[in-house]
Amino acid sequence: MSKVLMKGNEAIGEAAIRAGCLNYFAYPITPQSEVAEYLARRMPEVGGVFLQGESEVAVGYMIFGASACGARVMTTSSSPGISLMSEAISYIACGQCPSVFVNIMRGGPGLGGILPSQGDYFQATKGGGHGDYRLLVLAPASVQEAVDMVMMAFPLAEKYRNPVMIMGDGLIGQMMEPVVFPDHLKTEQLNTETWATSGMDTRKSSTRNLVKTLYLDPVQLNAQNLLLKAKYERMKKEDVRFEPYNIDSDYQVLIVSYGTMSRVCRTAIDNLKNKGIQIAMIRPQTLFPFPETAIRDAASKESCKTVISIEMSMGQMVEDVERCVQGRKPVEWYGKCGGEVPTPEEIMEVVQSYLTTKRKEQN
Amino acid sequence: MDISIEGIVIISGNYGSGKTEVAINLAVYRKNQGIDVRVADLDIVNPYFRTREARKQLAELGIEVVLPPEQYMQADLPIISRSVSGLIRHPSTLTILDVGGNNVGAMVLASLADSFRGVSYQMLQVVNPFRPLTQTLDGVLKMKQEIEKASGMTISGWIGNANLIDESTTETIFSGYAFMKQICESTGLPLAFITAPAFLLSELNIDQLLCPILPIKRQLVPPWKQAVRLKV
Repeated sequence: MSKVLMKGNEAIGEAAIRAGCLNYFAYPITPQSEVAEYLARRMPEVGGVFLQGESEVAVGYMIFGASACGARVMTTSSSPGISLMSEAISYIACGQCPSVFVNIMRGGPGLGGILPSQGDYFQATKGGGHGDYRLLVLAPASVQEAVDMVMMAFPLAEKYRNPVMIMGDGLIGQMMEPVVFPDHLKTEQLNTETWATSGMDTRKSSTRNLVKTLYLDPVQLNAQNLLLKAKYERMKKEDVRFEPYNIDSDYQVLIVSYGTMSRVCRTAIDNLKNKGIQIAMIRPQTLFPFPETAIRDAASKESCKTVISIEMSMGQMVEDVERCVQGRKPVEWYGKCGGEVPTPEEIMEVVQSYLTTKRKEQN
Repeated sequence: MDISIEGIVIISGNYGSGKTEVAINLAVYRKNQGIDVRVADLDIVNPYFRTREARKQLAELGIEVVLPPEQYMQADLPIISRSVSGLIRHPSTLTILDVGGNNVGAMVLASLADSFRGVSYQMLQVVNPFRPLTQTLDGVLKMKQEIEKASGMTISGWIGNANLIDESTTETIFSGYAFMKQICESTGLPLAFITAPAFLLSELNIDQLLCPILPIKRQLVPPWKQAVRLKV
């Protein structure tokens, strides 16, 4: 397929179809409603189903039900909607059902606003719902990457039998960029033989499959948690993704930034480079598993004086950055939220302020 | 060939077809020719990237932008300003109405039916053949039909807005022009003008384009890019 111009939300919808997802349930909320609008039109054309739930709570459990039956399934929402789905997400993680959740983040807390934000970092990476579970979290920085990540999300969800979340901010959903779609995934039929509750007639084995989340026996519940933990450890080994930028230079500051925020940082880094100031960036493409080693190694470089986490949130990812840097270098935070997106000029000023402070300290 | 469009011009089309960029750039282009121009933002669909984003720039250039009241500006509510009907009854030399996308966005026009009674206007549909819904003649005609049904108005001409934003090339413009000619032939409606990114103008062999060209200086850019400064 040749290049087309698409809004992020439309592109996410098309990518899901191309990944072989024929079940999409959602409830409208700005700034992600175009995904539902797009798929409401497209799903019938490809023999798929779009169902609007009566609320995000209902949608969460529709996803649980469909994935427990072995269907390839996705939903999309924005921050307050994801909060409502969080209970179901915890159940789905416990029941080990592959599924894809897309969060086109808006400003919070509460009803907040409709402009872009990255305020759901903790929610996505540290829980949201109850209990010891993790999501594999992908964070695209362009419409093309959103497409690629949706197509990647389904195989990853199936590999781990775990929900995968795609975290885009409102800009990813609303902006238009040229995209190219890969051909349809040659998706093998999901191997559901050993776990999906799809009925006995199609199965070779005579053992009943059971998807459940209630474990009253503490020994069994502990065992279930250990099983989940082993999967999350495997994610950390096999599926960390990140993009380094200007990392081979003798950078004085290392920026850690993701999503569209990282694109503002990239412009700032390019502008500073033209002024002879070297800054590097690690852009996490997976927020969980987090690129711990890459950030630690990049921070350890001798030329690097300071590490700054730049986020459209009030200091969330910075806690993970601190954890990775382990005190080797000072870790700072800069951010804005509520829909205010820092400009490249602002980022340049912030970065330069750390350079001058450093210089003053040395004098 | 100059664009000499006047009167009330309704800019419609599917969303993402580029209506707002066209409306803003057309306003500045005509203002440059010494014409009195006003623009109304009737987009009740898009939550981001609306005409209101460029209101300050336009105001500085002496182009009034009619918007919902300030306190509702960031809301995703279908609000249009009361002054829009006044604008229709007492138009400027050029009055541009930038409506929201698809039939949903065009529905707002039906609510203004009373104000439009006895008033002459043109309704132009913006087409970008690089958008998924309008890549084919059938797609464009379906969109036209849906917009007309929702608005209770009739499309009277076309604006060709073929582009891939920063990745547009001269080939993008020429293939878009060929597509628009096909649409005009099939519908019998005129091509008001086509657009071309300002950065491509010097490379375009305009002898091959038998219609006026509106240069586009992109205004609705993401925060990491700089809008091209508009000048009068």
